Amino acid sequence: MLLVNPHSGKGQALSLFTGHVQHMLNEAGVPHTLVITERQNHARELVREADLSQWGALVIMSGDGLLFEVVNGLMEREDWEEAIQTPLGILPGGSGNALAASIHHYSGAQPVSSEELLVSCGFLLCKGLVSRMDLASVHLGSSPSNPTRLFSFLSLAWGFVADVDVESEKYRHVGAARFTMGTLVRLASLRVYKGRLAYLPVDEAKNWEPMSANATLTGPPDSLLVPLDQPVPSDWVVVPEEDFVLMLAMYQSHLAKDLYAAPNSTLDDGLIHLIYVRAGISRTALLRLFLAMEKGTHLANNCPHLVYTRVRALRLEPYSPKGVITVDGEVVEYGPVQAQVHGGIATLVAPPAGYRPQSPRRLP
Amino acid sequence: MGTTASQLRKDLLSEYQELTFLTKQEIILAHKRFSELLSKEDRNIPTPRVPMEKVLSLPELKSNPFRKRICHVFSTSDMKDGSLTFEDFLDLLSAFSDSATLEIKSHYAFRIFDFDDDGTLDGGDLEKLVNCLTGETDDTRLTTEEMRQLISNILEESDIDKDGTVNLSEFQHVISRSPDFVSSFKIVL
Repeated sequence: MLLVNPHSGKGQALSLFTGHVQHMLNEAGVPHTLVITERQNHARELVREADLSQWGALVIMSGDGLLFEVVNGLMEREDWEEAIQTPLGILPGGSGNALAASIHHYSGAQPVSSEELLVSCGFLLCKGLVSRMDLASVHLGSSPSNPTRLFSFLSLAWGFVADVDVESEKYRHVGAARFTMGTLVRLASLRVYKGRLAYLPVDEAKNWEPMSANATLTGPPDSLLVPLDQPVPSDWVVVPEEDFVLMLAMYQSHLAKDLYAAPNSTLDDGLIHLIYVRAGISRTALLRLFLAMEKGTHLANNCPHLVYTRVRALRLEPYSPKGVITVDGEVVEYGPVQAQVHGGIATLVAPPAGYRPQSPRRLP
Repeated sequence: MGTTASQLRKDLLSEYQELTFLTKQEIILAHKRFSELLSKEDRNIPTPRVPMEKVLSLPELKSNPFRKRICHVFSTSDMKDGSLTFEDFLDLLSAFSDSATLEIKSHYAFRIFDFDDDGTLDGGDLEKLVNCLTGETDDTRLTTEEMRQLISNILEESDIDKDGTVNLSEFQHVISRSPDFVSSFKIVL
């Protein structure tokens, strides 16, 4: 099943499909059915009710937003554990193509233009290669007794980066540079975001074990998290500072085609890569950080305000009354939030680790 | 300190209220702060001008990276020296007020960023814009390569007709998508 959002990518998604992908799939003899989404949450509902035995894979041709709907639709099913193993494919066709960019990166190929990215992802799809992928379970907490839970495959962001994500999503530009005129304007009145951040660091000695499914609500139990209205467990680290410029939790390598935010991340490393920037950073240093993020060299920059650490779970309690939090680039309810990683529970159409593409641009 | 002469006439106050986005209170406060910047002699002439250096000493402007350009844009001085009359000052506060529309703010933002006043934002304007943000001294500025990368990113995103410059409508198009722009483009006394 191939899901396309016709409004995605400046309305180009559909023509990208007919122009490039359709003939690739036909040539490779891959039967497919095109579904055009009609509104927000259409995909989510469709996937929640679908008879998954009919479909070899669910492919999304859109930005990350549509994949977000599909993942959450699958996780809302009673049979989520099998459902989420349905191979998910992503073809870039929208404004946010972070996952597609990450997959392309993991295959070891050089960074490419958006059209080449599309062809290369299409190629992977035809080859039918699959890999496991991490998901993060994210709890939002306006009412701690009944938190909203979502599943996320890419990122959780707060502060300066969250604003940029939100703006750029509206630009609807395939593969556009994520920091721009809007960033410069906001750099002029650089804000400090106040909040409390805490996390569970990776314990190198322990081997990570997959979750067992005996939950009362659908989906895997979040054994690492305690309810949002209780203090974090004692083995968590609480960050002493309370003034931040940005916080970014990533489980894939790219935030956008040219924001290579977590260079060490892989599809199913079972880790959340936590990056935060403390207040006090100069505008120049922040600009440099974003410039370096294009190439993924920002962690090597030795910026004293930047902290990078690998964690399995985290919690953020923002104190500023107004602000923006994004999950996978989508704005969510502002307030306390916590997340933990569930390693490898999803399946993605992507080359498994160690695979090297021969020649993605030439098809037999 | 003999301030009765510098009180605002009621009819002028109403007129200013109609012509700007400012409230009565804001106008009265602006008048008080403006008068404080005037030298003793200037207080009694009909339409006094405050020199730019004095305007820049206002705490609300002092740390704004674009303070000089702001003065130049709102100044009606024939000598292009950035000096402001009270009405210039009100225009400035009006554009930067809470109630000014996105259209007004983005229009003025464009003029402020247009360092060479030629009606478009080209590479040179963008470079000066970034330098205003990054600071005066060499060690805080971006390198040539970093600057080049940044400017090319901005042009790629904003220059829709690909003529190498960002015109007013391209600028307004880009800025209108920024949810934070209106609240960051603010000066309130």
